Amino acid sequence: MITRLSRNFMYKVFALLLISFAMPVLADPLKVLRVSIPKAETGFDPERLDDLYSSDICWQIFDTVLDYDYLARPAKLIPGIVREVPAAEQNGRVYTFRVIPGIYFADDPAFKGKRRELVARDIEYSLRRLRDPKLNAPFSWLVENKIVGLDELVEASKRKGKMDYDTPVKGMELLDKYTLRITLKSPDYNFLYAFAFPQTAPVAREVIETYADDTMAHPVGTGPFKLVEWVRKSKIVLERNPNYRGAVLDTRYADMNNEWDREVIKSIGDKKLPLLDRIEIYPVEEEQPRYLSFLNKEVDILDTMHQIYAAQVLKNDKVVPSIAKQGIRVFQEIQPEVTYETFNMENPVVGGYDPQHVALRRAIVMGHNRDQLIQVVYKNFAMVAQSPIPPGVIGYDPTFTAQDQDYNQARAKALLDMFGYVDRDGDGYREQPDGSPLIIQYLNQTGLQYTKYSELWVKSMKNIGIRLVSQQEQFADLLRDQQAGKFMLTDSAWIADYPDAQDFLQLLYGPNSGSANRGRFKLPAYDKLYEQALRLPDSPERNRLYREMCRLILPYAPWRIGVHRAYLHLVQPWVHGFDRHPISHDRYLYLDIDVDAQQAALKK
Amino acid sequence: MNNTNTLTTDLVRHDSAGLWRLAWRRLRQDKVAIASLCVVTIFAVMMIASYMGLIASHWNAEVAPSYAPPSLHAVTNVANTKVVGIANPQAGPPVDISDIDPLAPRYQEWKERTANIAHEQTQHATSLILGADKWGHDILSKTIKGSEVSISVGILAAFLAVVVGTLLGAVGGYFGGVLDDTLEWFYNIFTSIPYILLILAVAAVFSRGFVTIVLILGLTSWTSVYRLVRAEYMKHSERAYVRAAEALGASHTSRMFKHILPNISHVMLVQYSRYVVDAIKAEVILSFLGLGIPVDMVSWGSILAETQEEVVIGKWSQIIAAGGSMAILVTAISMLTDALRDALDPKLNE
Amino acid sequence: MSMTSFIIRRLWQMLPTLLGVMLLIFLLFNWVGGDPAYILAGKVSDPALIASIRKQLGIDQSYLVQFWVFIKQVFTFDLGRSWSTNELVSHILLTRLGPTLTLLIPVLLLETIIAVGCAMLVAYVRGSLTDRIVMMCCTVAMSISFLVYIIVFQWLFGFKLGWFPVQGWTNSFWVNLSHYAPLPILLAILVDVAPSLRLYRSFILDELHHDYVRTARAKGLTEKNIMLKHVLRNAAIPIVTNVASGLPSALVGLFLLEFFFSIPGLGREMVVAVSNSDFPVIKAVTVYLAVFTMVVNLLVDLLYRWLDPRVAYK
Repeated sequence: MITRLSRNFMYKVFALLLISFAMPVLADPLKVLRVSIPKAETGFDPERLDDLYSSDICWQIFDTVLDYDYLARPAKLIPGIVREVPAAEQNGRVYTFRVIPGIYFADDPAFKGKRRELVARDIEYSLRRLRDPKLNAPFSWLVENKIVGLDELVEASKRKGKMDYDTPVKGMELLDKYTLRITLKSPDYNFLYAFAFPQTAPVAREVIETYADDTMAHPVGTGPFKLVEWVRKSKIVLERNPNYRGAVLDTRYADMNNEWDREVIKSIGDKKLPLLDRIEIYPVEEEQPRYLSFLNKEVDILDTMHQIYAAQVLKNDKVVPSIAKQGIRVFQEIQPEVTYETFNMENPVVGGYDPQHVALRRAIVMGHNRDQLIQVVYKNFAMVAQSPIPPGVIGYDPTFTAQDQDYNQARAKALLDMFGYVDRDGDGYREQPDGSPLIIQYLNQTGLQYTKYSELWVKSMKNIGIRLVSQQEQFADLLRDQQAGKFMLTDSAWIADYPDAQDFLQLLYGPNSGSANRGRFKLPAYDKLYEQALRLPDSPERNRLYREMCRLILPYAPWRIGVHRAYLHLVQPWVHGFDRHPISHDRYLYLDIDVDAQQAALKK
Repeated sequence: MNNTNTLTTDLVRHDSAGLWRLAWRRLRQDKVAIASLCVVTIFAVMMIASYMGLIASHWNAEVAPSYAPPSLHAVTNVANTKVVGIANPQAGPPVDISDIDPLAPRYQEWKERTANIAHEQTQHATSLILGADKWGHDILSKTIKGSEVSISVGILAAFLAVVVGTLLGAVGGYFGGVLDDTLEWFYNIFTSIPYILLILAVAAVFSRGFVTIVLILGLTSWTSVYRLVRAEYMKHSERAYVRAAEALGASHTSRMFKHILPNISHVMLVQYSRYVVDAIKAEVILSFLGLGIPVDMVSWGSILAETQEEVVIGKWSQIIAAGGSMAILVTAISMLTDALRDALDPKLNE
Repeated sequence: MSMTSFIIRRLWQMLPTLLGVMLLIFLLFNWVGGDPAYILAGKVSDPALIASIRKQLGIDQSYLVQFWVFIKQVFTFDLGRSWSTNELVSHILLTRLGPTLTLLIPVLLLETIIAVGCAMLVAYVRGSLTDRIVMMCCTVAMSISFLVYIIVFQWLFGFKLGWFPVQGWTNSFWVNLSHYAPLPILLAILVDVAPSLRLYRSFILDELHHDYVRTARAKGLTEKNIMLKHVLRNAAIPIVTNVASGLPSALVGLFLLEFFFSIPGLGREMVVAVSNSDFPVIKAVTVYLAVFTMVVNLLVDLLYRWLDPRVAYK
């Protein structure tokens, strides 16, 4: 009797244990959003940031000086912690920032129990910190060679071996506690974009000095959320920042024809933000578990789904029935990004501006089967790029069409024949006009996705009789060789830092050779237009210059212009307010969750 | 003197030859062993045929649409829609660049030549037993071609490991003393570093390629054969027949390799076939880590690396083809190894 | 030779080996590996920034100086910070060890129990059809690539059947163990049991040839009794040795599982460190694992001598 009873009891305990193991999150009534990102984060110190996903997370913790409107497309600057977007004074040389009083940092032991208000000095400090020689900040270029007196201060600090945070800088005047005036060396109408980067988000000097080397793990900002748990490369947990000043959705720039915008307005409306209590972010680097965990409802948002699964989700622009049945919404986005392969313009085989070498590059470009790249590698989720400028940035011209970048085997072969690149020894591959062997070396990274690019290049070139050898290197070696110009043709992609075509056109600007301009393309006519455009605000006149620059590069083909990739972001039905931003990406500030629906789905 | 030397050598050879003949007789009675031997032979023939270009030479030809399903009949070309990717509805006419183009003077000639170039029609496969991969390559041909690289990696890497291990083991075990201590030091270093780290380190040193993989796998796995051979040499160098050879004036090299080596060859053979298995399996992991063969080659490892994104979308052909062939071959080699070990070392047989 | 002097001698012998390990790793990664400055400089890098980073990391100094710094670091247990995330290397080692052990310990325990149990069974019925079939299954199971197991079973159990979560990890040991670890543990056991089973079977069969078994049989003990009381006790020596000496390499050997199940373990950390040329992490993992390996080997030797007093301390 007793044994039977206790056995029964044991079964029940066991069953309870099983249930509690299976659903550990059920007891939680909070609004918890679970997101999966495709790359591991590195840390959350704004000035130290380099990678995309750490930056995106910092955008939830820190307030940037200027921000982007959630709904406006193309992206539009709005005030962040300042009263208004500063006007360009003195032809774009002077900008005045007026900080809103009464914004407080999240509480932290570094403040010794006092509430800490954000002031103009913090902006100034963060800009200096971005140039701290000890930090080697990857985004220091944002304020390099721009602000009067700052570069000189950095040079002096380098000599002293320690960054000078106290000596006043002429170009950064603190007019009062809440006002900072910045003076530039020369007019720059795109300068304000630098303040809509998480990398320039104000940090408190006490926090930085308290945590010294450990700032990556101690982000203290004024933003809507704060970091509460961090299992490195595995789980990042944010919770609502009680000191956050609150925000309301601005619907002025919404596009009412867009279903996503309508959904945002309907579900978020004029509620006080943020609405979420807790955000759990999971970096998952393998594609299979990332995709499966979303279908398993282990996460609520699948950020940037791999294109390989696109056909499982969308067919002929319609969500497939099995996905639609579950209410999953699919956000399709052409990111402000361009993929390209750059030739080394200083290489004796593929470089040069004379007709023979121009012809070789143009033939290689036309021989590369970009159509197949889009169909097979991107599963049709990509758009042919006509110029370096992607849609979604200011200066993009949808009518610009570059025929000479289109895949055309016959034209490529004809061009090679015309300039003496013919097969002389009958091995099926062409030689150079002087009879020496023609071997194109294609340099890219190791990894499954890059292998696909390589395979396509080898195939395409073989089809027009050119021998192409693919060399795949570890990331560090690739960067070294690209920078040192040790390549003939190499793979690259550029994603917008700020929504202006200038960010892309600088990739071919002569003086940027060796850094952003990896192919070392130098065309005086192009450089002249680039410098002219710098001195102009956004205007039809500047757009005309941008278009002309795009036209100038076509005959010389320094690039195989690739595609603008379309990305799919998958959202579970209980997530509301989702509208992927082209520059600031996912903003959890504007999201809401229907907890009942979430829990009901999990129970199933 | 020369004569006597040959005499002892013959004696030893005869002895070891006897061992082999005996082993072969035992092996022949083992049905599993014979079946395994047949499987291994089939794979070897397939590999050689592929190497000579008799089969699967067009593995990288596009013979079908992307991910064509398996079928025995001709694959009809799917409607060749020209819609590529996401269309731009506002696209304008092509930009005129003739005023700035260095090639402008020859536009007319270019146009004429283009018109004269015949449009190549792709040949489509008549049957696809295993279907096609993402590029439309025949998976059957790919798997066969892949066996060529995978098996040669196995054979060569194992050979390198056995040669290195045997040489070092022989020298250490035979001479002993400082030489042996140094080699033991070297051995300790290699076994103290985790295998995977060693692989990554060596891979970082050499540029990618077939030879690199052989080097990586060979140079990182010589340790266990070294241990065994060293122990055998220590044992054998004291034996009477070696002493006798020494008395007859045989040189060290001659004693090490003419006298002792044949007597421990069975240890090496068993170890060798184990290495072949290990190397074939390790090649898969290298491919996964992006340290595999170059893109213009194919191996089972490179095929399996591709499958990590295919199972989820319901494309099972490649994982079954490459994973299956690998499993069959490796099983056969392992069983043959077991049978061989039992045949050579009858003590172990119950 | 006494045990104490044996231990001292062995510890002394570790020094040159450790030095060799350090030299090898230093040469391979520092000299010929990738330059981390290019990764750290970000997407817009200019030579001045690269030079500045190199100076700060100390990789602009001569190799001799760098090696000397490395030696000092190892012996003062101060390996600095990761170059790519600025995290303390000691912190990396400590925090990544937990997840790895959460997988590794259950895997080793369960695998050993299952493998020994099965090995006893098949050794008991040695030569029978069952024995042959089990052995054949083992060989087949060993012949399938680990990658295939992971891809297929993650899809099958994690998604198609939905028995386990596909990925995830928390700070709570129990949630990890009960929720996220079972599938990877199952996979690891599936792959590891077959070779262990074969090995342990051979150990047990070896024991059966010994005189004491014959004596026991002569004494009229049942075969079952002999197996459980005598053979298992003696076969335990090589089995324990095998498990223990496999431990160090297993610490980083689970990297494939850690990748596919997003587990922040030591193996994944190391593979990532190599691809980022994060030298402080590589150095630390290698050196301390090497020390661990040597210590384990020593302990195994001692254990061996303790279990089997016939082996002399030489």
